[in-house]
Amino acid sequence: MRIYGPQTLFEDVQQRGLCIGCGGCVALCPHFKTYKGKTARLFPCDRETGRCHAYCPKAEVDLDELARQSGQPSYPASPAGGYQRIVASRSGRRLAGQTCQSGGTVTALMTLALASGRIESAVLTGTKGLVPHPVRVTHPDGVAACASSKYTAAPTLSGLNAAIEAGRRHIGVVATPCQATAIAQMRANPLQQDDFQDPAGLVIGLFCTWALDTRHLIAFLDQRMDTRRIRKMTIPPPPAEVLIIRTDTGDSEIPLDQIRPLIPGGCRICPDMTAEWADLSVGELEGRPAWNTLIVRSETGRALVDEAARDGWLETESYPSGQLDHLLGAARGKKRRALQQARADGLLNSAPDTCRAALRLDAKTVDALIGDGEECACRY
Amino acid sequence: MNPANPLQHNPYNLIITGVGGQGNVLASRMVGDMMSQLGYDVIIGETFGASQRGGSVMSHLRITAKGVYSPQIPFGSAHMVVALEPSEALRVLKDYGNPHVRVICNTRPVQPVGVIRGDLDYPDMADLRRWVRELSGAAWFIQATDMAMKLGNPILANVISVGALAATGALPLSRDHFENVIGRKMAAGKIEMNLQAFDAGVAMIRSAG
Amino acid sequence: MENTPGQRHLVMGNEAISRGILEAGVQVAAAYPGTPSSEIIEVLSQVAARRHMYTEWSVNEKVALEVAAAASFAGLRAVAVMKQVGMNVAADFLLHVALRGIRGGLVLISCEDPGGLSSTNEGESRPYAKMMEFPLLEPGDFQEAKDMTRWAFDLSERLGSIVMVRSVTRLSHASGNVTFGQLPEDRPTADFNFNGAMLDPDTGPMINLPGPVTIIHRRQQEKMARAAALFETSPFNRYDGPERPELLVITASACQLYCREAIEILGLEQRVGLLKLGTTWPLPIQLLQRHLALCRRILVVEEVLPFLEENLQAFAARAAARIGIKQFFGKNDGALPSTGELNPDLVMAALSRILDIAPMGRDDAYRRRAEAIFAKGAPPRELTFCPGCPHRASFWGIHNALAMDNRRGFVSGDIGCYSLAALPCGFESLKTLHAMGSGLGMASGFGKLSPFGFDQPVIAVCGDSTFYHAVMPALVNAIHNDANVTLVVLDNSGTAMTGFQAHPGLAVNALGETVPTVEIPDLCRAMGAKVRVCDPFDLPVTQNTLLEMLDDPQGVNVLVLRQICALSPEKKGKKRYDMAVDPQICRADDCGCNRFCTRIFRCPGLGYDPQKGTARIDEVICAGCGVCADICPSGAIERKQRS
Ligand SMILES: Cc1cc2nc3c(=O)[nH]c(=O)nc-3n(C[C@H](O)[C@H](O)[C@H](O)COP(=O)(O)OP(=O)(O)OC[C@H]3O[C@@H](n4cnc5c(N)ncnc54)[C@H](O)[C@@H]3O)c2cc1C
Ligand code: SF4
Ligand code: SF4
Ligand code: SF4
Ligand code: SF4
Repeated sequence: MRIYGPQTLFEDVQQRGLCIGCGGCVALCPHFKTYKGKTARLFPCDRETGRCHAYCPKAEVDLDELARQSGQPSYPASPAGGYQRIVASRSGRRLAGQTCQSGGTVTALMTLALASGRIESAVLTGTKGLVPHPVRVTHPDGVAACASSKYTAAPTLSGLNAAIEAGRRHIGVVATPCQATAIAQMRANPLQQDDFQDPAGLVIGLFCTWALDTRHLIAFLDQRMDTRRIRKMTIPPPPAEVLIIRTDTGDSEIPLDQIRPLIPGGCRICPDMTAEWADLSVGELEGRPAWNTLIVRSETGRALVDEAARDGWLETESYPSGQLDHLLGAARGKKRRALQQARADGLLNSAPDTCRAALRLDAKTVDALIGDGEECACRY
Repeated sequence: MNPANPLQHNPYNLIITGVGGQGNVLASRMVGDMMSQLGYDVIIGETFGASQRGGSVMSHLRITAKGVYSPQIPFGSAHMVVALEPSEALRVLKDYGNPHVRVICNTRPVQPVGVIRGDLDYPDMADLRRWVRELSGAAWFIQATDMAMKLGNPILANVISVGALAATGALPLSRDHFENVIGRKMAAGKIEMNLQAFDAGVAMIRSAG
Repeated sequence: MENTPGQRHLVMGNEAISRGILEAGVQVAAAYPGTPSSEIIEVLSQVAARRHMYTEWSVNEKVALEVAAAASFAGLRAVAVMKQVGMNVAADFLLHVALRGIRGGLVLISCEDPGGLSSTNEGESRPYAKMMEFPLLEPGDFQEAKDMTRWAFDLSERLGSIVMVRSVTRLSHASGNVTFGQLPEDRPTADFNFNGAMLDPDTGPMINLPGPVTIIHRRQQEKMARAAALFETSPFNRYDGPERPELLVITASACQLYCREAIEILGLEQRVGLLKLGTTWPLPIQLLQRHLALCRRILVVEEVLPFLEENLQAFAARAAARIGIKQFFGKNDGALPSTGELNPDLVMAALSRILDIAPMGRDDAYRRRAEAIFAKGAPPRELTFCPGCPHRASFWGIHNALAMDNRRGFVSGDIGCYSLAALPCGFESLKTLHAMGSGLGMASGFGKLSPFGFDQPVIAVCGDSTFYHAVMPALVNAIHNDANVTLVVLDNSGTAMTGFQAHPGLAVNALGETVPTVEIPDLCRAMGAKVRVCDPFDLPVTQNTLLEMLDDPQGVNVLVLRQICALSPEKKGKKRYDMAVDPQICRADDCGCNRFCTRIFRCPGLGYDPQKGTARIDEVICAGCGVCADICPSGAIERKQRS
């Protein structure tokens, strides 16, 4: 992992339009702040190395190094990263009566993690109007209040950083793939601080194909509806190709073609659909709206899922045959498009001594990922 | 009125310099009043306004037996520089100094914002002393601000410097004149402290030999 | 300003002018403060009660001149005082009063600032005298500052015309010895007589009407002719030098001191003649003709523009048949710079070149050495807000709100201490800076550009005094034209830049009397703006309020940031908090801070100790406002309330 300073971060990420507003550089110090879904640099900082740059998921992310850190020999040329198993899941009876995005797997697991004392608090994502913001929850009953997906890119990590700055450790986080990447970089103690302690106790990743720019989405919706009445948004499985907006007065559907221009540039070079750096990754399960896809990646994740299944927090089933190809096809498609885009933009494996890169991984792996396999024709 | 003592130079060119807020306008006024009461004609040129806020502030005093001179001293013609801040002495000497100029220099720095910010370096006091000595015919260094803080208010460094100026004998200034001048302008309660400050300035030059 | 006729005092140029005003028996003095003019009214206000005089800080220069003119129309002597920029504000009324004439002596004093030592420009107002046709006097030293001011009122009454006295920073703010004259004891009563014939200068109404304009104008020009005739013998125009000089220097104002000293230092008394003019418009033609005839080469020395020079050239061309062809030196040929102020050295250089004599060099080796030492030993002093200044806190909020808003927003401002917000001390927030009140006028205009693709938010700033002076019309404009803007009024309770003069927001006037206040928030609300008031030292509230205002898609928002100036008499020298940095907690240049307090916030009361590697408070400089404790990300700066 090459680490530069905030000026480089500002030039390479923010000025290039790659910032997805994850909040990874926010609340470490007073220089970066998040406001209305956008990360702003308030003042320049002249340090030559900084955590802001080290954590950013759009600057110098070395995938092979992250893989080594999580015990793999190198970054695998597989579509969904390394994992132990994939199951279908939904929340169990212990979480009855909560409305969640799909199966409620995330909310159930986080609630248990808090209740069991595995983590001391959880950093989740809530909204004020349509603006997402981090929420730190310390009581298990608080987790459900943040259920359901905010399809805008969220500054969740500013909440994590603030908690760490306040001296907290053993923190649980629900993170999109880019956020999970940033957390993986945080866990590497990039500035080699003497008093470093791994801050994250549990990372539950969300599947993500893309998110939307908060300010663009608000401007877009403001022209079409009274945004104060929005209750929930969903993107149903293909071939629907729509974003459904549930309001007090009924649903409205917006074709994804109109929505795609609102995707921030940073998403277009994101190779990760399944939150590969998380302990557990959760997404939808096509054809079964009240269920989730659950990928178990680490020992921490496995232990939590086992306990959840045993104690009635979670129901699991074996993954429907046929769905797996679909899922991996979609993940592979995202990876290929992102790597191609990054390469075309000169952001992939740029000459190590002279240029900086957004992403680095072994050239052979790149070839394998870009070259092989059929692309899935699903919505992703 | 014709002054009793002839001046060492006519006009005698004195510059009192410092940083906004150090009270050099008041100091120049005190010296001007004393000399004017002795019968000399005095012209004081000073810049205040925007330069008061963190900037260099400089007063030019022209003291003459008779007549009016430019409120700006011609380049290279200062006879005495009283610097309430050490680096300001160098700023003045650059334009108004000459090999014979004499300098009284308070040693307490007021750091420019560029130094506070970390973009600029403030020189070592040892270097400052060496440079002031090199650029002057005679130089006195006084811890005026430290003494002023002992007396209860750092602003008194200006009066201490006036006392020091009197003690050099460059101008016919005495404690009586000083008392007379501040007696007219100052609240009674402040006079004692100002006299102490003046005396402290005199003592500093005397002890410097 | 005690009544001590015949005695000699060391006074500031502005005090000399004040004394001249008192000796002239002026009863009404009005002004808007502006460096370098403000002391004149301050001095008068101190003695106003004893001298049976009325002084006021008017809301702006035009009103000041109107207030003074009213007294004149009622038969009293009156004066209006302003700096050069204010002349342009007063100019509209000035044109009319110059044309119609006056009754009691009416004098306008303009203190100008060649070199812009404390102004955003070095504009000058002498051309008004020519353009609007009234007499112009320029004192050349401290005694003249008093004497000519006094005489200006006699002249004004003799001619029935307004008279302008022009001073410059190097006179107004310099001090010299002045011998005082007698103070008058008679006190005329005020009465405005309007029953006479329409055009009667002494008894008619004071009116300019379309029909008889040319009649009145002709009368005005006759006054100018009489003025020129009087100036022929004025003691304020003096010649010193040989009968037939090689070079004639013509000068006025403080420049005459530079010329005299330059001639003396170069020892040119026998070669160069010096004609010092005190009456610079209209020109005393006979006098000039006599002196110009003596010499072929003329050097004109003045600040800033070639006003005298070009008028003299025009005259010399007209008179060429009688006085011969002249060669002029000055601004037009580059002998002297036509920007910035002059000084004895510049005049010496010009004289040396013209007369082809060796320039008075400084010891060259010394100069080079001094410059080299200066370069390493005297780091430049950038201007900054004072320690404890409310503006630093205000612009912190403004800057941060605009930066977080992240739409390339900016501040448009105007003239006051807060103009420094264009520099790092105000986080370089200020991006347009022009006349008084222009900040909101500009913002009102920017606020209408959205149909053309403009999407940057604009925050206008103004001071409390400026608000009354020139912002109110712009506010009406913004509201009426539905411009979406935010105005921040930096209310530090006084005209701080020029030394705490009263203004309509304060319950006290120039005379120290209790008067009604005109509240800025009330005014703005009454006009239809959405108004909030906060304390800029409350950093989070200020920042969040501004963010909400920037978010408001409609209309005009006004935020009044209220906190008294750090230099105000109420605050000066009184610390609210004792401040200290805890070196154990301070993170210095580690990631997580990187010397945020000194590198970014930059209050001069803070410092960085490179040996210890921590920040520190300089107790001599710190004003104890406590604000820096809130910007430290680590809580290392502690504040303890003083008992
Ligand atoms: C921007 C976005 C895009 C997604 N795209 C896909 C996709 O393409 N395919 C797919 O299968 N699944 C996608 N998902 C995941 C999916 O929407 C559900 O979040 C997931 O199936 C978990 O469902 P659940 O019922 O367990 O969640 P819940 O129990 O409802 O819990 C949702 C959790 O997500 C967190 N959260 C919500 N919004 C955000 C956000 N913007 N950033 C970070 N955390 C957030 C909340 O804190 C909450 O804890 C996406 C989610 C997001 C936020
Ligand atoms: S280097 Fe550290 S202090 Fe500087 S901006 Fe980055 S996180 Fe902040
Ligand atoms: S992507 Fe995240 S870490 Fe990178 S600059 Fe944007 S907000 Fe900061
Ligand atoms: S902002 Fe605080 S932590 Fe940082 S250098 Fe200053 S006192 Fe130290
Ligand atoms: S308390 Fe802090 S901000 Fe206020 S004057 Fe002192 S050092 Fe400056």
